[in-house]
Amino acid sequence: MQRKRRTEILINGSREIPARLAQQIAGRYEVNTIEEPNNGLVMIKARETAKKSLFYLGEVFVTECKVQIGGAIGLGIVKGHEPELAYQLAVIDAAYQAGLDETGHWQEVLTAKEHEIDQRRKARQSKILQTKVIFETMDDGE
Amino acid sequence: MGYVAVKGGTLAIEESIRRLKYERVKKGKVLDVESVECGMRGLIDQVMSESSLYGETLAAIAIKQAEGNPEEAVFLMRAYRSTLPRKHYSRTVHTGEMRVERRISASFKDIPGGQILGATTDFIHRLIDFELMNETEEEAKIWLSAFERQVEYEADDTDLNRLPKVSDYLRAEGLIADCGNDDQEPDDVTRTSLKFPASRSEILQVLTRGQTGAVTAFAYAVIRGYGQLHPTVGELRVGDLPVCIDDPIGRSDPDDAYYIGDVKVTEVEMLIPVTVEKEHGKKELEFDIGYGVCFGQNETKAIAMGILDNSLSAKHPEYPSQNQEFVLYHIDSVEATGFVSHLKMPHYVTFQSKLDSVRKTRKSKTERQEVGSP
Repeated sequence: MQRKRRTEILINGSREIPARLAQQIAGRYEVNTIEEPNNGLVMIKARETAKKSLFYLGEVFVTECKVQIGGAIGLGIVKGHEPELAYQLAVIDAAYQAGLDETGHWQEVLTAKEHEIDQRRKARQSKILQTKVIFETMDDGE
Repeated sequence: MGYVAVKGGTLAIEESIRRLKYERVKKGKVLDVESVECGMRGLIDQVMSESSLYGETLAAIAIKQAEGNPEEAVFLMRAYRSTLPRKHYSRTVHTGEMRVERRISASFKDIPGGQILGATTDFIHRLIDFELMNETEEEAKIWLSAFERQVEYEADDTDLNRLPKVSDYLRAEGLIADCGNDDQEPDDVTRTSLKFPASRSEILQVLTRGQTGAVTAFAYAVIRGYGQLHPTVGELRVGDLPVCIDDPIGRSDPDDAYYIGDVKVTEVEMLIPVTVEKEHGKKELEFDIGYGVCFGQNETKAIAMGILDNSLSAKHPEYPSQNQEFVLYHIDSVEATGFVSHLKMPHYVTFQSKLDSVRKTRKSKTERQEVGSP
């Protein structure tokens, strides 16, 4: 599973999954922390839609962490002050970078969570669409 | 009176700071940060937008510390921001990827995807709800549960993640001039001081982090007559934008990017009629877009930004509202409130100097009158 998809599942799903997956790795391999979870900023570059040019929208407060497993470096980065999650994301990223066997078994759990997130989004979308205006044309009597 | 250097006041200042805390807690109740974050969405959005820093919990702490004063909360956020390293730049965010929760147009009734009201105060009566005096968390939970269980009466398959843009529809009709992507790297006003004429990226960055009241006031002036705009909201949308960064040591493959979370933004495209000269001097009416976007659900600010974006593109400024320096130098919350409020800080030496000048002038005038008198 590619990184963008899996980080989206790990961040938007339950906290239990990244904690469990990271624990599996930390219990079996030597994980060296290169950069303790720490706070920083990510500047958002955006494209506006009037002239289609680029500009900076503002910064997001993030927590970032870096770990190493063997020769592989893992990065964990997430919005907000989330030191534990940032560490877990870094461990999981390093596991994928190192091609550890465990990652092969994670596909199922991540896909199931992705399905759950999709269902939640669909339910939310359905509620929002209840506020969609249904126009009625006024009869002028002719 | 000569100049006198003075020191002191340390004890008074320390006690003043203790007194500030006393004012915050004197009623024996302490706001918990979670309550601020859960119940003060509007203020959190305003503070994040004006401080140009997205962090809901951070904003909630700042609001608590500032006792709800947005000016002070924004100052705290900006000060904290200045202590943090900028670790990454995001991949370019496209608002077409927004997970929309509200989307309306004042220009067209029938827009592809429809008018989706979402959560808005537009249709409430502005009557104070006195029942909130006694609202309990238990009641709120019961209401929430009933709201979530409510069965939808009609299925609608509109995809809120892929709503077409109203402006694309007008571009296809040739009513808005089409343009290709401009990939020039943006300037950053947090790294380089603003110079005039400012680049488009600088204008948008200053406007989006501007103080809500100031941005709105200048835009109001434009519409009232200090400008030449007759704008209409082409499209206003509120929703979440996913933010990703590239692998710092790898390829810039979009699928290999790190997703870091969503930011909620309000985006507005204002439609402004303009007369353009075509071939053989033929004049035609087209539309310009004034673009506004800001963190959080700040609709008035985003509309005002759209108006000012267009107003500041005037080639021959006639009004202050079309003057980049006038607008961009005066709408930043920390700069404006900081400068105005610094006037209350001790100016003893400056004022004594002025006082000396006034006294000397008066004295010499009196002496001249005495010498000249019979």
